[in-house]
Amino acid sequence: MQRRQFLAALTALLAQNGNAAPTLHHAPKAKRVITLFQHGGPSQLDLFDYKPNLAKVNGEELPESIRMGQRLTGMTAYQAKFPTAASIFKFSQHGQSGAWFSELLPHMAKHADQWTIMKSLSTEQINHDPAVTFFQTGFQLAGRPSIGSWISYGLGSENQDLPAFIVMISQGRGNSQALADRMWGSGFIPTNHQGVKFRGGKDPVLYLSNPEGYSRAARRHFLDDLGQLNQLKLDEYQDPEIATRIAQYEMAFRMQASVPELADFSKEPESTFELYGPESRKPGTFAANCILARRLAERGVRFIQLFHRGWDQHGSLPKQIRWQCEDTDQPSAALITDLKQRGLLDDTVVLWGGEFGRTVYSQGTLTATDYGRDHHPRCFTMLAAGGGFKPGTSYGETDDYSYNVAKDPMDVHDLHATLMHNLGVDHTKLTFKFQGRHYRLTDVHGRVIRPLLG
Amino acid sequence: MRLLSFLLVAVLASAADPKVTFNRDVRPILSDKCFHCHGADAKSKGISLRLDVEASARQAVAAGKLITRISTDKKGQQMPPPYSGLSLTAKEKETLTAWVAQGGEWQPHWSFVPPQAPAGPASIDHFVRARLAKEGLDLRPEATKETLARRVSIDLTGLPPTPQETAAFVKDSSPKAYEKLVDRLLASPRYGERMAARWLDAARYADTNGYQYDGERVMWRWRDYVLESFNKNKRFDQFALEQLAGDMLPNATFEQRLATGFNRNHRGNTEDGIVPEEYAVEYVIDRVETTGAVFLGLTLGCARCHNHKYDPLTQKEFYQLYSYFNNVPELGRSMKYGNSPPLMPAPTAAQQLTLAALDAKIVAQEKWFAARAPQIDAARRAWETNLPNQSWAPLSMRNAEFFVAEPPQSFDGSKVIADDKAGKFDIDDLWSVSAWVDGAGAVLTRMAGDRTEGRGYGLHVKDGKVFFHITSNWADDGLRLESVKTLAPGRRHHVAVTYTGSRMAEGVQLYIDGELAETKTLLDTLYRPFRNAGGVFKEPLRLGGGAGKAQQFKGTLDDIRLYSRVLTAEEVAMLAVGQPLAALATKKRTKPEQRQVELQYLETAAAPEIRDAWQALSALREEREKLERTFPTVMVMAESAKRKPTHLLLRGQYDKPGELVEPGLPAFLPQLPATDRLGFAKWVIDPANPLLARVTMNRFWQSYFGTAIVKTTEDFGLQGEWPSHPELLDWLATEFVRSGWDTKAMQKLIVMSAAYRQSSQATPELIQRDPENRLISRGPRVRMPAEMIRDSALASAGLLHEQLGGPSVKPYQPNGLWKEVIMQDFDYDQAKGPDLYRRSLYTFWKRTSAPPMMMNFDASQREACTVRENRTNTPLQALNLMNDVTFVEAARFIGQRMMQEGGACAESRLSHGFRLVLGRLPKPAELTILRNSLNYHLDYFADKPADAKSLLWQGDTRSADLPERELAAYQAVASLLLNTDEFVTKD
Repeated sequence: MQRRQFLAALTALLAQNGNAAPTLHHAPKAKRVITLFQHGGPSQLDLFDYKPNLAKVNGEELPESIRMGQRLTGMTAYQAKFPTAASIFKFSQHGQSGAWFSELLPHMAKHADQWTIMKSLSTEQINHDPAVTFFQTGFQLAGRPSIGSWISYGLGSENQDLPAFIVMISQGRGNSQALADRMWGSGFIPTNHQGVKFRGGKDPVLYLSNPEGYSRAARRHFLDDLGQLNQLKLDEYQDPEIATRIAQYEMAFRMQASVPELADFSKEPESTFELYGPESRKPGTFAANCILARRLAERGVRFIQLFHRGWDQHGSLPKQIRWQCEDTDQPSAALITDLKQRGLLDDTVVLWGGEFGRTVYSQGTLTATDYGRDHHPRCFTMLAAGGGFKPGTSYGETDDYSYNVAKDPMDVHDLHATLMHNLGVDHTKLTFKFQGRHYRLTDVHGRVIRPLLG
Repeated sequence: MRLLSFLLVAVLASAADPKVTFNRDVRPILSDKCFHCHGADAKSKGISLRLDVEASARQAVAAGKLITRISTDKKGQQMPPPYSGLSLTAKEKETLTAWVAQGGEWQPHWSFVPPQAPAGPASIDHFVRARLAKEGLDLRPEATKETLARRVSIDLTGLPPTPQETAAFVKDSSPKAYEKLVDRLLASPRYGERMAARWLDAARYADTNGYQYDGERVMWRWRDYVLESFNKNKRFDQFALEQLAGDMLPNATFEQRLATGFNRNHRGNTEDGIVPEEYAVEYVIDRVETTGAVFLGLTLGCARCHNHKYDPLTQKEFYQLYSYFNNVPELGRSMKYGNSPPLMPAPTAAQQLTLAALDAKIVAQEKWFAARAPQIDAARRAWETNLPNQSWAPLSMRNAEFFVAEPPQSFDGSKVIADDKAGKFDIDDLWSVSAWVDGAGAVLTRMAGDRTEGRGYGLHVKDGKVFFHITSNWADDGLRLESVKTLAPGRRHHVAVTYTGSRMAEGVQLYIDGELAETKTLLDTLYRPFRNAGGVFKEPLRLGGGAGKAQQFKGTLDDIRLYSRVLTAEEVAMLAVGQPLAALATKKRTKPEQRQVELQYLETAAAPEIRDAWQALSALREEREKLERTFPTVMVMAESAKRKPTHLLLRGQYDKPGELVEPGLPAFLPQLPATDRLGFAKWVIDPANPLLARVTMNRFWQSYFGTAIVKTTEDFGLQGEWPSHPELLDWLATEFVRSGWDTKAMQKLIVMSAAYRQSSQATPELIQRDPENRLISRGPRVRMPAEMIRDSALASAGLLHEQLGGPSVKPYQPNGLWKEVIMQDFDYDQAKGPDLYRRSLYTFWKRTSAPPMMMNFDASQREACTVRENRTNTPLQALNLMNDVTFVEAARFIGQRMMQEGGACAESRLSHGFRLVLGRLPKPAELTILRNSLNYHLDYFADKPADAKSLLWQGDTRSADLPERELAAYQAVASLLLNTDEFVTKD
């Protein structure tokens, strides 16, 4: 392409694809983010938020002084009793930091001194769809850009062969709730910032593979001819959009090579699979997606989001949470180890958690070995590592029942603001004008939580 | 983006007179930088200075304060204050200073004042030329006839012209040739489909409910109403009126009620455990926001939580508007599957015809009987003295799904009879149950796990009353009602319940001893079917129990019947007669007894011709009932008899009601009496309303030129963009009203203009000066919307199945997309045959997993109202066009058409393909490229017959029997054409 046309194409790309020219507001600590989103609401009480006193009051009615008539979901609002259910899982302290982890997460516990554990998070939403939407977009109703879209819009891509925002979904074994494509959508900012879903199997990106019977060599020839046709048109019409299209077909061609290469684990050494566990050989599992996440991080993809379904344990929690932890514990820990080994953890944020927490009282009947827990937005725990988060830290506290936040409250907007801060972005300044208003991810809220910064 | 908007501002302002115009130059600055504090919501911040109100602003200007404060660097003095994050550019300060220096003339916001037709000459070209002349530019010459034919066909029908159509137009040298083409396109049924596509985006139309569960809904009858209205060229004001309040018009027609589906297209939440009141509020707010954006071009939703920061709309006024839409008898939790009430049966035109034909036959048959009534009655009276000694029901009732034969069964509280086949009704089925009962306990049930308070349904005698329930979750998901009166103890009673499948208590009728009984509703919130999450409800029907041991029946049960339809009152009454016919022979009969005797006669004893005629009439009536059950329904608006009170909601929260508000219009717009939704709708369409005609014409303009005259199609408020051609927009708006809101005439007006017909070829200089073509310095060159790209490919391939309307269809989609995200255990069930090739307007739209090709090409997600068109240019689009089976198969059929219709030589075949896809003949250089490509592919497939075969076997529809190597090569060239920039673009 000639220089003039290239410039035209570039201008058009910027115009059409509406990037806020990469605007760092301060020096960034992190360049990219990997969120390991545990969809359904993992129980903070059975994983991180150790409450030794609960054993003494197990089975007793949750005191009104704790519950304070708070909103419940329609699923337990009619329940006659709210028996306190202590976790049946053993907790122990780990590392120099002495962070508490339950026995369900032996691998993640080994990184006790790496994690920043946020125990005082709360969200405004009590049901899955609005709560995930809130976590993803800063607002409970559909229609706003997702966090990855904001980051793509604000910081752009560091890789010309891959999208800046990539999403992967894996299926859990517990009770699953629905996801929706809009949760990684771009809302009102241009759609090229929406999350691109990577899938297990032959076509990690939709329509990536050439039709059967059509080789890469033929495609190259095809694109050369196409380029010529488009070039004739460009010469005649001067529309920079045509130059952009030529460039985008070339990027598509590069993606046809770069994506399969990315999804091809055959060159990974045996040690990788040992690290991530046996499931990591199966495409589409959480473990395989964790390896993919590392490979994407290596290639400079800006925002990588994994969703693992199945954390909605209204009943049979002990059984189901074991399954979920079996699927996620080792790969999550492996990702930290792996990124660290490769020197990537310093500028990559890894986030671990779901859309809300779960209730201390049992949903349904409480027995010595079984209980369920309902949705609980008033407090939940998330973990962060790398990319400017302070290692080996615990932030915030909940009351004796892990029902209310007792110290250092923070909400989802605060987490967003802090995350953006680490990426070098002032959350109040990354805006997009729509319907006459300058929108931002944190709406009119959010503070950077300084004690979380390393 | 920034760079471009800067250029654009420069372009739009460069020729501006040195005179500063308040509305164009000043207000946008004040709005963006000052109104946040000194705007409509100033008072709540304790600020007295308002810059959006003339008097207050004048004081600030007169006192010299405005300029001082924006010029100073002093901390605590500087405006906007640094902490606000806002600042004025040098250019903006200059503009404000010039404005003050020129006298600080004030204008009311342009769009809130009714448009006036200009006194002087007026036409699209007049205004466009006048604007271009200021730049020293003029319109470009007219585009070539081929280009024009394709442009206008795509714009008016969403489809490319056929080569024959283009050829006919090129050949026609009469001065009316173009107009004839335009008229023909406007008369095509494809026109309504094209116009409907954008309306569906605005109306957030979809085939599922959205939110977490995203179950299916049925709104396609409303969608068809939209395209039929465009095709009929319904007056636009009527179109608007009936969608907002058609149900409230006097003697509302079927179509007027159907139209109100517009404001039921919002999403509905059925997630377990939600607070229904919270979502009931969201639905109403969605209606207000959508109505505001579509009909008024206002961002009303900004005033949900506080006074609007920019527009003069108070929070109270927002809730006054809200109250117009807050009187629908609806539940905050929506149905898990299917439509949520209120709804109406919405037969298609064809079904309406069938129904009318059936009714005519029924009336004729009834007349036949009426004419012979005296003879039939006389004959029957002679016969009826000797009636058989048996209980009897007419034929129509002998087809009960199930009944226990006589004699009566006694139950002692331990016996339960189970049946695995009968009673497989769910909450959305029509059914009836009846029985003779003497005793207490569970009469018949179908409950999960023999539990008292669980999932299923049951008919009981409980505390002497008849109790009936349909339950998905005992706590909050069910219908429960009981009779007000108690059954007399110690004797048998006939008990029956009919249910219309409405999932509302109003759909249940309870009869005792053949008479409709008064009931008390105990719970009326049923959402989920028994067959949850795609599963099957396996429980058996149980007689005399099934709802726990304690509930098992003690007494006798007799003649238990289940019907999979709703029995009429007369039918129930006959079941309750309870005596053999012989006993009726001589007694003075009640009405149902008399009816029973009459029917027995007609069915069994009358003369053969009468018996046959009766059988025929019964069959017709049965057919009618069956037909009615196939009618689709549609969710519509309705008014509760008693007005629901509306409160202002503090911070917009459902559980924080503030003061009570009455319906009312925003004070900043012209007033009319509007006490209810109909009044509001009449106000929207009143010519005194400054917005509807402007907003609508602006959106029409957008669909031709890619960018509208007011670029912010959704916002005509103070933050909206200043129009590129204000006089033109106002003239178009006045023309629209003057024409009698003639939508087709307006489309014609636009496409007949020279501005529209000019060539879209540009020069580098022109691109520099007018990058977004806001000045209309050349013809429109715009990438087609998603649906047109697919439809055009199908049309070029000859695959398009042009069926107007009907249920949504499921064309090709990669496997597993639904399964990845949904909760149900099923996946997309792809269509077969013609439904693979319908226009994209009919593609099933699942909100949480929208059709991927549509999303790749920037379609709106249909979660909420979208009125602005959006276009990106991405590698995913390239992959989509190259590799999606839709386009791979279309290419094969285009290849086939090249070989079959394009003559014998390669050049003519390639030219034919070029014309099929791009609507013109190739230039020599283009033909050379195609020729090279063909040769390459012929060589390529020469030694790869298996590859050629694989390529040709993609897609469901087989090609004609042609040499595979050649067909594969032509397919490859066709794919090349489908991937050109020109194919996806309207030149």
